[in-house]
Amino acid sequence: MRHVLRAFALVLLMVAVASSCTTDGSDDRPVVRVGTEGTYPPFSFHDPDSKQLTGYDIDVIKAVAKQAGWRLEFVETQFDAIFAALQAKRIDVIANQVSINPEREGKYGLSSAYTYSHGVIVVKKGTKGITSLADLKGRTTAQSTTSNWSAVAKKAGAKVEGVEGFAQAAALVSQGRVDAIVNDNIAVLDYLNTTGSDKIEIAGNAGDEVSKQALAFRKGDPRLEEADRALQELRADGTLTKISQKYFKADVSAANDGTVDVSGGRKGKSDADTVKDAAWPMLRGLLKATIPITIISFAIGLALAVAAALARLSGKLLLSGIARTYVSIIRGTPLLVQLFIVFYGLPEIGIDLAPWPAAILALSLNVGGYAAEIVRSAILSVPRGQFEAASTIGMGYWQTMRRIVFPQAARIAVPPLSNTLISLVKDTSLLSVVLVTELFREAVYAASAAQIFMPLYTVAALYYWIVCAGLSLVQGRLETRLNRFVAS
Amino acid sequence: MTGPLVRAAGVHKSFGDHHVLRGVDLDVDAGTTTAIIGPSGSGKTTILRSLNVLERPDSGTIRIDDVEVDFATLPPKGGAAGQQIAALRAQSGMVFQAHNLFPHKTVIQNVLEGPVQVQKRPLEQAVDEATALLDQVGLGDKADQYPFQLSGGQQQRVGIARALALKPRVMLFDEPTSALDPELVGEVLSVIKDLAAEGWTSVLVTHEIRFAEHVADQVLFLDHGVVVERGPSAQVIGDPREERTQQFLKRILDPA
Repeated sequence: MRHVLRAFALVLLMVAVASSCTTDGSDDRPVVRVGTEGTYPPFSFHDPDSKQLTGYDIDVIKAVAKQAGWRLEFVETQFDAIFAALQAKRIDVIANQVSINPEREGKYGLSSAYTYSHGVIVVKKGTKGITSLADLKGRTTAQSTTSNWSAVAKKAGAKVEGVEGFAQAAALVSQGRVDAIVNDNIAVLDYLNTTGSDKIEIAGNAGDEVSKQALAFRKGDPRLEEADRALQELRADGTLTKISQKYFKADVSAANDGTVDVSGGRKGKSDADTVKDAAWPMLRGLLKATIPITIISFAIGLALAVAAALARLSGKLLLSGIARTYVSIIRGTPLLVQLFIVFYGLPEIGIDLAPWPAAILALSLNVGGYAAEIVRSAILSVPRGQFEAASTIGMGYWQTMRRIVFPQAARIAVPPLSNTLISLVKDTSLLSVVLVTELFREAVYAASAAQIFMPLYTVAALYYWIVCAGLSLVQGRLETRLNRFVAS
Repeated sequence: MTGPLVRAAGVHKSFGDHHVLRGVDLDVDAGTTTAIIGPSGSGKTTILRSLNVLERPDSGTIRIDDVEVDFATLPPKGGAAGQQIAALRAQSGMVFQAHNLFPHKTVIQNVLEGPVQVQKRPLEQAVDEATALLDQVGLGDKADQYPFQLSGGQQQRVGIARALALKPRVMLFDEPTSALDPELVGEVLSVIKDLAAEGWTSVLVTHEIRFAEHVADQVLFLDHGVVVERGPSAQVIGDPREERTQQFLKRILDPA
């Protein structure tokens, strides 16, 4: 018990330290937190060589900050969670090619546009008969559901398949599973440039549809005005044009003819180099996030599980009811939903946790729910006579549990608990949605910058497999040790 | 304290509708051995387990030495009730039919658990005493084995040493040889006999009628939750007065 308490205190301390680690206060400029994907070249991505966050949107927001006198903190999150993060006040502004549409204008504070892009229609190379929006009637297109282009395709009479990101859409088109994609020319050209793909091509313009992208604030945020003023000044002094020229060899910061060169000085790298460069950041993500979060969450989760199991076995109606409800909720809801509730939901009722504590809280609760039933059945497997023998030599409840019951229950519980632990290692890959830069997030960064997937995700899989295989080995040795007092 | 060392008076116990003990009285003098015999279902194990409250009587009093609990007035739960029960329980040592040794602890760890963890006695002294106890039950060479490595008779003798280690006022034996192969019964009975000779106070539930006749000072015959006959062992077993006792003994001693 002392060990458990000590471990628990240590964990609490670590959580406290992790949550109090904010940047130093020597700089008195107001801090503005910028939400961006970091996986969306050439707008927001990590330079493959320097690993620094860079891109058109990043340069624009940095120029705006300089003009407005802000200090920036970048928060990287996936696009699907980015508006939730803005509403939950985890970020103050989105710099990630947010397209202007009436719905968003109603909900958020949108700045003036700093990107103008044209819609293009993308098809499998050699496809005949699709050159304009009119040709899309009755065809199937692949679109990001939250994007404007999805609405454009629907309006043209196409059936829309929802996808996550352009790379996935491109794969569907080249495999012939859908007929076309409607997207903005810059993203498409960037994809063609970085992948060198000859499987898809631009078949024509999507009408004269122009998409405008802007910075998004919360409604009523006074910093929107500062941003607009800064954008106006940057446009006037040519800074925006300069940034645009750097990435596109054209000025997309104003209405334009759609001719852009997206190579942007980014040179293609071989798959081998990409994997080699990404292997270390992925290992770092594994060592600095995946493994510590797994250990801490498992320790707290196990303590919760023991508490819930003892509550259910207590025979006290209220206690066992609470434990039963807890287990039922955890096992009956997806981990991803639990993560979103803890990270994006709780701030709305005033509980604002930093990414690490939020991740650890959600994972611990999840582990506790699953392990509670394992612990309970393991305790029930200890014969009644053991409890009686302990009480006849004068042991109290806790002493009996600690010295007599738990050691015997452990033998039964170790194999299923090992399964829980191994699942937990893999479940940490979901933490990228709550802004924890762990192993898989690093893989996603590298894959999106280089637009290659198979080798990088394979390396990520290999890392997970090595950790889990190691855990299985430890499990085997632990089982041998716990079986020493049982006739074989 | 004058009078008997153990006194149970008017003990009643029901399991649901089943009235198992119907007012059992029991006196045990210090330094004597009492055997409780009777057909299965007679309540003999229940009265023994009532003496250390593994079964909690519905009413009646139980006193061992200077600790007395009145179950009619004992609160159903709470710290005060728990303390009274613990105090009574600390007066006795229990040997189970199915030994109930702690399988994850070695023989000597089983014996040390009570003295060191519960009574907080100094380890060195406790180890010396535990070693002496194991020698006494003939298992001095098995101290570092796990229970599963021992025979049934050896396991039961460890169980006796574990109970003795707490230096209880009275030893309780619940059919200590019923689960054993016949050739292992003797070694356990001989340990119990030695304890009687040394002056330990014991209460023993048993089917070994001949053993009870030779070793016990007092024998109680229980049937349907009441004491049908009690007295010196030579009288109750050798010359029973009650018809039910006679029938039971005839059945068990001359089964053909």
